[in-house]
Amino acid sequence: MQATGRFYQHARKCWPLYLMALPGLVFLIVLRYIPLGGSIIAFQDYSLFKGIADSPWVGFKHFKILFDSPDFYRIFANTLILGFLKVVVIFPVPLILALMINEVRAVLLKKGIQTALYIPHFLSWVIIAGIAFDMFSLNGIFNTVRDWFGYAPNLIMQDERYFRWIYVFTSIWREAGWGTIIYLAAISAMDPQIYESATIDGASRMKQIRHITLPLLLPTALVLFLINLGSFLDLGFDQVFTLLTPMTYSVGDIIDTYVYRSGIQEARYSFATAVGLFQAIIGFVLVYVFNRISKKVTGGGLW
Amino acid sequence: MLRKKIFGSIMIAALLPGIIAGCSSNNNENAGQTNSAQTTNTESTQGATDDKLVDLEVWWANTGYKGIEKDSPLYKQYADLLGVGVTSPYVEWNGGTDYLNTLNMKIAAGEMPNVFLPWNGNETDLAKNGAIADLTELLPEYAPNLWKLIPEDVWNVVKANDPTGEGKIYWIPGIKGYERTTGMIRKDWLDTLGLQIPKTQDEYINVLKAFKEQDPNGNGIADEVPTGGRQNARWMDHLFNMYGVAMVEGYPDWDIYNGELTYSAVSPNMKDALAFIAKLYKEQLMDQETFLNDKAAWDGKVDGNIVGSYFQWAESSYLHLGLIEQSSGVKADFSVLPVLEAPGYEGQGFITTKQVGNPEWVVSAQQDDEHLKASLKFLDGIADQSKWMDIYWGAEGMHYSVADGKKTKLPDDKSTQQNRLTPYDQFGNIEFKEQLLTESASESDKWQFEQSIRNMKDLQQYVKIIAGDGLPSTVYTDYPDIKNYTLWYEYATKIIIGTYSIDKFDEFVDKWNSSGGAEVTKRAREWYAKLGK
Repeated sequence: MQATGRFYQHARKCWPLYLMALPGLVFLIVLRYIPLGGSIIAFQDYSLFKGIADSPWVGFKHFKILFDSPDFYRIFANTLILGFLKVVVIFPVPLILALMINEVRAVLLKKGIQTALYIPHFLSWVIIAGIAFDMFSLNGIFNTVRDWFGYAPNLIMQDERYFRWIYVFTSIWREAGWGTIIYLAAISAMDPQIYESATIDGASRMKQIRHITLPLLLPTALVLFLINLGSFLDLGFDQVFTLLTPMTYSVGDIIDTYVYRSGIQEARYSFATAVGLFQAIIGFVLVYVFNRISKKVTGGGLW
Repeated sequence: MLRKKIFGSIMIAALLPGIIAGCSSNNNENAGQTNSAQTTNTESTQGATDDKLVDLEVWWANTGYKGIEKDSPLYKQYADLLGVGVTSPYVEWNGGTDYLNTLNMKIAAGEMPNVFLPWNGNETDLAKNGAIADLTELLPEYAPNLWKLIPEDVWNVVKANDPTGEGKIYWIPGIKGYERTTGMIRKDWLDTLGLQIPKTQDEYINVLKAFKEQDPNGNGIADEVPTGGRQNARWMDHLFNMYGVAMVEGYPDWDIYNGELTYSAVSPNMKDALAFIAKLYKEQLMDQETFLNDKAAWDGKVDGNIVGSYFQWAESSYLHLGLIEQSSGVKADFSVLPVLEAPGYEGQGFITTKQVGNPEWVVSAQQDDEHLKASLKFLDGIADQSKWMDIYWGAEGMHYSVADGKKTKLPDDKSTQQNRLTPYDQFGNIEFKEQLLTESASESDKWQFEQSIRNMKDLQQYVKIIAGDGLPSTVYTDYPDIKNYTLWYEYATKIIIGTYSIDKFDEFVDKWNSSGGAEVTKRAREWYAKLGK
């Protein structure tokens, strides 16, 4: 009773803030929470004609189909490997990039570099994959340069050995620049007095980066890292799908592309939902575990 | 406080009867109104069935043209021509995937189009759930043109494929009166190099070598691509068909191997074909980028005057001839490449054809009698061959212009043109296609259309109707990765580019069988036995 009373008092005082939060809340409820209820169809044989209410319940049938699928282990392993690369190789790049951009003194140059790095983010994966296929084609820049040095052309887009590195390369190219925004904002919010006193103490620029900027950036990085883990199995369908060819299925066929093929394209909505649920649960467990670890080790976390 | 409450109660008590009375009287009035409205409605429709235009929502493939709204040019043309109002919203096609998703969403929302193209076998579920109309009795009475146009044995296949197992007709199949696809070869290059059209595999290899080494396009650069195809090992059937492999535009199909209906991809014939193609790839006699070519990339090479031999629709070759002339000034001659004799293969190679096409139209069962009849009228209209020419030309000012009484096709423009129906592609015969090509030609590009017509007729001698003609997609139920060729794509492409040796083919056959292929084969053979061929 008292708590609600206090809430009303608070709400009356800060009503503009609550008003501003309202659209966001509505968005979350309508587009994030209500659809959660639809996950029910993962346990049904959902039929368009019967609807959720009348479709028959089948328990864990669709999860079984997924785990029994002959390709499941290949698909799951590919997903884990790409997820691992995403977290270990791709994740730190924006951080390093932000530190480097921060050290550029000429304002115009700095802005120019930032803009150039942001631009790829606004291109869709279809376009980026098209550029990648062109770059590595017989007449593309890659094979042209090889030719200058007397090497025979190599079509690496159809070679399973390179697929994962192409995934990493295109991810960094498209997203690294965009990812620096949050870090740069965090850096610009740092107290200049700390740097001044460090300079007086004779700290070089390298030392300032190591002992001031980096430690102060870590909490931001940590939060981003945890958010990243939540989508560990969610590698971005667009990217992998547009880069994939049958010759690279063995290393690039992931859960998302599998679901697209055998769930969405075949209108097996229950199956697609079951797989989505499976991915979400893995993501949730990872976030939960790492949040616990992070709280223990650094004292900070998502919640 | 107390006074307020009493006042409130009194007010409610006083108003309540009035509210109730008001409600009930409203009800009565409403009921009366709807009743009378209904009677007048039925009267008016009965009186005016002939002049009243019934609007239908019709969905079919649209690869980027504008939709058809009410009272737009194409709506008016179809109203005159077919006697029904055709509206068709723009729905993203994307190889059928987006179309199917949008269609399913509409169906789930209870807004099924009146007549539409089913996709990827979804007519099976629709028929089982009674969502699409049983047309068995309706067609002969309300769509006599269509009933006659489609041969009886094709109707029999449709009846045999009825998912409810009752031998009813639930969809209108496309029919192919003739085969469209063929391998083609640059006859003008052969003439330049003093070579003959190859008849055997060895001769073909020699020709490809000559194409590669002797600069037949005469630009001084060794840029010629002797032959090739597109991603997923598609559109290179001319390299497969010499071994008697049943294949439709790159998709393996079903035919009799070793006396039984078998998927051609797992037949011994396929192994020989793959071994041969892998050899071509290794000797760089086919495009090294074949499996990275999308349609635009491969067409670009053909149109860029560097491809010697390729597989496509014969009747559309004029499009490429026009573009080759534009890009290099050469009047190219793509002639039909015969089905070659392959060493060690004793059977007769062939170009695969089917008579029974995919389901092209279904009619919603969730509509009133008036709209159902109009839907049948629509189907009957597009099956009337005398209307095809007008349907092909489209709307004046949008798809064609008239000068001196002669119609001229306007250049294709997806941003301004509405999406036309194409019944001549769904039900067409070779005579109509010839007429159509002849009428489309102008004085300057006549030679291109003449070539297409020549090729179209020439290729028919190599055609065979395969045993799997009419096999319903229901045999693939529960095995999506068999249905959408995933395993085949992977092994075929890897064997050809040399990542896998040809010995891996046996592993492919085992894997295919164990991941559902065996069950699919069993179902297909049961279907074949039932067909009683």
